[in-house]
Amino acid sequence: MKLPALYLLALLDGMLCGVRVSMGRCALIHKRSYYARALVRGLLGAQLISTIALVALLSVMLVSSQRPELRGDLEEAANRMLWVFVPYALLVLASLAARILPSTDIRSATSVFALGPLTAIRPAVMILGVFYGIVASRLAETRMLGLFVLLLMLSLEFFLDRLAGRTQNRELDQLVRLPRPSGGSRLRETTKPPPAS
Amino acid sequence: MATGVALPRATLAHMFRSWNTAQPEITDLIIGYDPVTLQRLPVRKKDVTAIFEKFQNRQALRAIDQLPARNGILDGSQIDRLFLKVHWEMQRLAEEFYHGPRVYEVLRALIATLRAGGHSGPLRIVDVGCGIGYTIRWLAACTPLASQRVELTGVDLNGTLIAEANRLASAEQLPCRFVHGDAFSSDHSGQIYLSTGVIHHFRDEALGDFLLRHDRPEAHAFLHFDFQPWFLAPFGSWFFHFLRMRTRVARHDGVLSAARAHSASTLVRAARNAAPNFASGMYGQKIWNTPAPRVFHALVGIRRPLVSALRSQLGRRASRLADLQ
Repeated sequence: MKLPALYLLALLDGMLCGVRVSMGRCALIHKRSYYARALVRGLLGAQLISTIALVALLSVMLVSSQRPELRGDLEEAANRMLWVFVPYALLVLASLAARILPSTDIRSATSVFALGPLTAIRPAVMILGVFYGIVASRLAETRMLGLFVLLLMLSLEFFLDRLAGRTQNRELDQLVRLPRPSGGSRLRETTKPPPAS
Repeated sequence: MATGVALPRATLAHMFRSWNTAQPEITDLIIGYDPVTLQRLPVRKKDVTAIFEKFQNRQALRAIDQLPARNGILDGSQIDRLFLKVHWEMQRLAEEFYHGPRVYEVLRALIATLRAGGHSGPLRIVDVGCGIGYTIRWLAACTPLASQRVELTGVDLNGTLIAEANRLASAEQLPCRFVHGDAFSSDHSGQIYLSTGVIHHFRDEALGDFLLRHDRPEAHAFLHFDFQPWFLAPFGSWFFHFLRMRTRVARHDGVLSAARAHSASTLVRAARNAAPNFASGMYGQKIWNTPAPRVFHALVGIRRPLVSALRSQLGRRASRLADLQ
């Protein structure tokens, strides 16, 4: 049960990473479908790294001479990791849930006092969780797998950000490449006027 | 002109040169317009650099160093691109701080006050320095104002941002429009002027001149939201911009904006001196009547005969409105 729990947390983290890297890159007002796509991209990214981690784990299990012992060691490490990751995930989810309250002050406060700082400490939480998990493990394989998973987790947001950045750059290039009206700024006469109010 | 609590600011200016409130923001300098025709003017990179060298602001210098130039002149299309990128990021902050609902909370009371005062014709709301028009587009998308004979308009001197605002409004078929020009000209003026995060760009005499220009016969009220200065604001802003913004220019200017924000007393004094035909005061300075300051406060001005009607239209939120004089 411990490893599936870590897998679910990784998916949740991936989805939130997907949304985070897409924020500030779309200036429409209604962005539900934009964020839905970002969630899916994050989910797929997390699924990909989970699959890589699973393949690595199975490979190590396959070649290990002490398979039952490794299984127990991995379970114990996962259990310890959950002591760090679950409270962090609960804090994030509680902060997001507070945004349901119909108060601009409370909603803004969740950004300033909760979601912002929680985003800032994410890499530290990842490192702390994995190290706390593997520090008491008996086998070198468990430690190596822990460090490998940590590397994958830390790289997820970086790669999602690169992907979102590339898409944004293409959009910006397209916008500034539009024909320039004489003497004035770009785009001014190239966009359709909105419907009359 | 005093811009807030003197002691902490002087200390911060010594500690962090990029927070020195005497200097302009990078985005104030890297784009220039002819004041009459509003045509873009070439900007020499060296001129911009010289200003921040004077303030020994290495963070700004690093940001400017990255800006592409041709023959010493900043590349106009790359500056346009940067402005779009920065404004998309700024919209994210506006969304996180719920600028739309904050503005609407006061705006609907102002509109109801004008209606109750006998203004039955179309009302034009003008967002001064609207950028890519987030506030106006939010009002058009999320409130019934457009169906209540309220014309939602954004005006900005930057034609690129106006074009982007119109593109975005068009993409979502929003009932609002954006105009490249002077918000206080007879073509674009309105009954209610508003802005978000703009008023701190007007310094010293320019602040008075800006407020004086509101006193047009057709204008009944104004509403200008901006950062509320207090000693922790630049630290909070630095942390927030470090986390949320991706461009060096946005990170620099965002923090400097919070440091340069006018205090309530500066805004109120300037409004009462420059536009005495309006009763003016601050709105929403404290959170729930506690001593805790809100991140944003607003300078509100309204024609004197309408003051008591505005208080009654605000209902239970009237306590957020300070003295209007």
